[in-house]
Amino acid sequence: MIFAQFMSGLSRGMMLFLIASGLSLIFGVMNILNFAHAALWLVGAYLCYTFWYLMPNAALGLWLSIFLAALSLAAVGWIIEAVLIRRVYDRELSEQLLLTYALVLIIDDLIKIVWGVEDKLIARPPLVAGPVFIFGAPLDSYFIFVICVGFGVAIGLWWFLKKTRYGHIVRAAVFSREMVSALGIPIPRIYTGVFALGIFIAGLAGAIQAPVGSITLGMDMAVIIQAFCVVVIGGFGSLLGTFVASLVVGEVYAFSILIWPEGALALIFIVTALVLIVRPWGLFGTPART
Amino acid sequence: MKFKQILVVGMLVVLSGWVGADSCPAAEPYHLGVDLAVTGTGALYCKDGVDAIRLAVDEINKAGGFLGKHPIKLFVRDSHTKPDVAVREAKDLILRDKVRCILGTYSSACAVAIKPVCKEYKVLHIAAISNSENITKTHFSPYTYQVVPNSYMQAKAVVLGVAELAKKKGWKNYITIASDYEWGRSTQKNTVALLRQLAPDLKLKKEFWPRLGETQFTSYITAIMAQKPDFVIGSIASKDNVAWMKQAKAYGFFDKIPYPGSLISVSELILQKKTLTRGLIGLCRAPFFAHMDIPMMANFVKHFKSRYHRYPSDWAVMEYDAVYALKQGIDKAGGIETEKVKDALKGATIDTTRGRLFFRKIDNQLSCSSYIGVVADDPRYPFPIYHDLVEVKGPDSWRPEAEIIAARSNEK
Amino acid sequence: MKRSFWLVLVFIVALALPSVIGEFWVHVAIEILILGLFAVSFNMLFGYMGQLSFGHAAYFGVGAYATGLLLLKTPLPLPVCFFISMAAAGLAALVFGYFCVRLTGIYFAILTMAFGQLIYYIIFQWYAFTGGDNGLQGIVPPGWLLNVRHYYYFTLFIVIGALVVMWLISASPFGHTMRAIRDNAERTRFIGINVRRYMLINFVIAGMFAGLAGGLLGPFNRSIAPDLCNWQQSGIPVFMTVIGGPLAFFGPMVGAVIYTLLFALITGFTEYWPLTIGLVIILVVLYLPGGVLGLVQKKWIPLHSKKLTPGPNGGAGEEI
Repeated sequence: MIFAQFMSGLSRGMMLFLIASGLSLIFGVMNILNFAHAALWLVGAYLCYTFWYLMPNAALGLWLSIFLAALSLAAVGWIIEAVLIRRVYDRELSEQLLLTYALVLIIDDLIKIVWGVEDKLIARPPLVAGPVFIFGAPLDSYFIFVICVGFGVAIGLWWFLKKTRYGHIVRAAVFSREMVSALGIPIPRIYTGVFALGIFIAGLAGAIQAPVGSITLGMDMAVIIQAFCVVVIGGFGSLLGTFVASLVVGEVYAFSILIWPEGALALIFIVTALVLIVRPWGLFGTPART
Repeated sequence: MKFKQILVVGMLVVLSGWVGADSCPAAEPYHLGVDLAVTGTGALYCKDGVDAIRLAVDEINKAGGFLGKHPIKLFVRDSHTKPDVAVREAKDLILRDKVRCILGTYSSACAVAIKPVCKEYKVLHIAAISNSENITKTHFSPYTYQVVPNSYMQAKAVVLGVAELAKKKGWKNYITIASDYEWGRSTQKNTVALLRQLAPDLKLKKEFWPRLGETQFTSYITAIMAQKPDFVIGSIASKDNVAWMKQAKAYGFFDKIPYPGSLISVSELILQKKTLTRGLIGLCRAPFFAHMDIPMMANFVKHFKSRYHRYPSDWAVMEYDAVYALKQGIDKAGGIETEKVKDALKGATIDTTRGRLFFRKIDNQLSCSSYIGVVADDPRYPFPIYHDLVEVKGPDSWRPEAEIIAARSNEK
Repeated sequence: MKRSFWLVLVFIVALALPSVIGEFWVHVAIEILILGLFAVSFNMLFGYMGQLSFGHAAYFGVGAYATGLLLLKTPLPLPVCFFISMAAAGLAALVFGYFCVRLTGIYFAILTMAFGQLIYYIIFQWYAFTGGDNGLQGIVPPGWLLNVRHYYYFTLFIVIGALVVMWLISASPFGHTMRAIRDNAERTRFIGINVRRYMLINFVIAGMFAGLAGGLLGPFNRSIAPDLCNWQQSGIPVFMTVIGGPLAFFGPMVGAVIYTLLFALITGFTEYWPLTIGLVIILVVLYLPGGVLGLVQKKWIPLHSKKLTPGPNGGAGEEI
């Protein structure tokens, strides 16, 4: 039972990580807190549905749809950065927040116009439709896939930032925009790339969420707050922090419903508040960034 | 830049300075308001409801309108599933659009919020989707009518069925899982209380309260399965229910644990036609297929289907009945004056798609049935329906009048 | 001189309004007054202290629930209920503000939001006391206020009274200290001012007036629901302030007029209200920083000391 609870917490945590990592990446590099992240995540889920719907007979329909959804959402992210976000880099925090909040309202209504109000359901392929038993504990087989993708994204991002030339440039831009642009590297292009990458991960997360339950309007509103909390607990801009915090929040939730079912969600806000009070830069962030 | 700024300001001024005088109401047409959630959590159910209302209105208008001479003019507003917005929209409907009746509301919180507004402005209010019994039990308004089986009636229906099953199968204990909001809470509370009366041996092992809007139920599913209860009673609605059922199924939950009497409306039967576990015992409020022998229902389904190319859900059926309840009230009153219509509807017997029913005098609750059945495929429909359908009649399931009087006695 | 002329004109218009417009618009006007007061109280933090609160609706909600519960369960007269509401909201602001004022910028915004959500969940879950998500029904004002036009004048005078008090506060040495903290907290600290204490006092004042605005809402709508306190509700005063202009005292009030009228008009013929307001916000943020009043001041009133101040991010924000 403990193990089953642990696994369900792990899968919940991985879902959270997939959403929060893009948010954390964008904030860490560009210093923009993207309110619209979850709204785009939801668009990813709807896109996944559309691709899946268009390929009813393809053997790998769902898997291909997830990838296509993430890719096309990255393109959307690219456009949003180039058209809107770019204009507010030098603006006040409140204006950046408001701009992305306004985007939430617009995206949510556009979703309604494009996909209508009906819930969308994706039937899972037989491979991941039933339970598997690990040590006698039941586990939704789809979540094995989710957990793998979560680890994959975590390792991929780590590798990208630490081991590639592009990643080095991105990390350098975090510390000194001036220095990087003095070296002749175009900062705007880097920002666009990072934003698109963050949104790509959001799209991936949304598409992966799509077959879990139904896809409905307004799903993003609860998710964005939880993602904020995770990023805060882990420390703004720290990928490792976001990873650890996601798993902690997932596990805390999974176990707190056994003990204190009514308070499970309030607990996240209490933890977030405590972290902010005691250590505003989060568990793994650096104080310098405040 | 200056030009753009002036342009923006200009737009704002034009948009906001448009406070026109109230339009003068024509004497003849009947203004009918709809206050439903076109966006937000309730959009799925409400769209069906609004479509059915439009159908009913067009049918009546084809015959010249109410009493053959008062064509209906429809005003549809979006409550955003938020009580304060629902109140503002209700006021807007009453004061600007001069409606005489408001059909509504998706969430019970919205229903109880607009109830006092309708009462104050003496406008009829017919609730057809939201079903908390508090809409008619406490803070009674003579203007509010309820055409959906309320949460007590539904709980009672489930309990009657479950108590029977428990005796037959020797069940000893159970777990509840209910969405953490008014409907989930009141349904769970009523179910547990009634089960204690009817089957005192059954033991409630644990309660789970996922929040409204939960998308991932895995932690609840594993927790419940680990407890190995004899059965589980769920009170989860709408999209949460879809996510819950889908995930529980992926865990093999329904193969292991009986899950009788959860809300599976026709919306879910249609939406989850591929994934829904057959053999599940479900509860619904107004399934059209239960009454295809009644001409009014058969006609409604035929027209709904030819116009919208889909089958009507419970919500469509009930909103359709709401319009016809209003029509029969007006027919009986012989005029469209709200006071007369309100009095005519009091205790009135009306014809609905669900048969001939009546409003109970004490709380204006329609004597409509709750339906319990087994999910099964049917050659007549492209989605599963209920077989072995049990219809628990309104008068057999509603709260005794004495309890209502007692509940109202300590109101200020 | 010129300013007082405008104020008197607005006052006369406000007095004459209910006899000119239809009843629905009186309702809208009351809503404007209540939300305007809410937005002005929010701007005590945003415009005068330079901190963006994303949990201000919590204090609005505490005030609304305090008045609602008092009216339902006690025979206290309405004005007394309002005072208790302000005290309750102020107390909540004191407890949570104590922690919030230790942070700035994005951290301040998120901590206020976390606390706001906490209050929201408490109200949402505490069925025995707050009625849970059903909210409170049957909140009826005393008989002489049942008529909506009477309630309008009642609200008008309370809101004007509150605005005068807030105006006096902002014009007092305390208000100037707040602006000094906003412009440069470091330097203010060096001249021997306890910055945190000042910020906390300001936080409590803002909370109290939000509570008063909340208190006015219950008897007006006859019911309240926990949605009043969640973070989406907290976005509303932010919108209003940004549209109207955060650097002018009456900016949020102007924003409240525009926002509420837009809402009442747009929802009459389209369901796409979020899309509309989203586009308006983006246009304002991109092309009209400083809001409507900011533009008016820049264009028609010679600049005094007012300027757009650098935010916690260090961006300049003036030129576009």
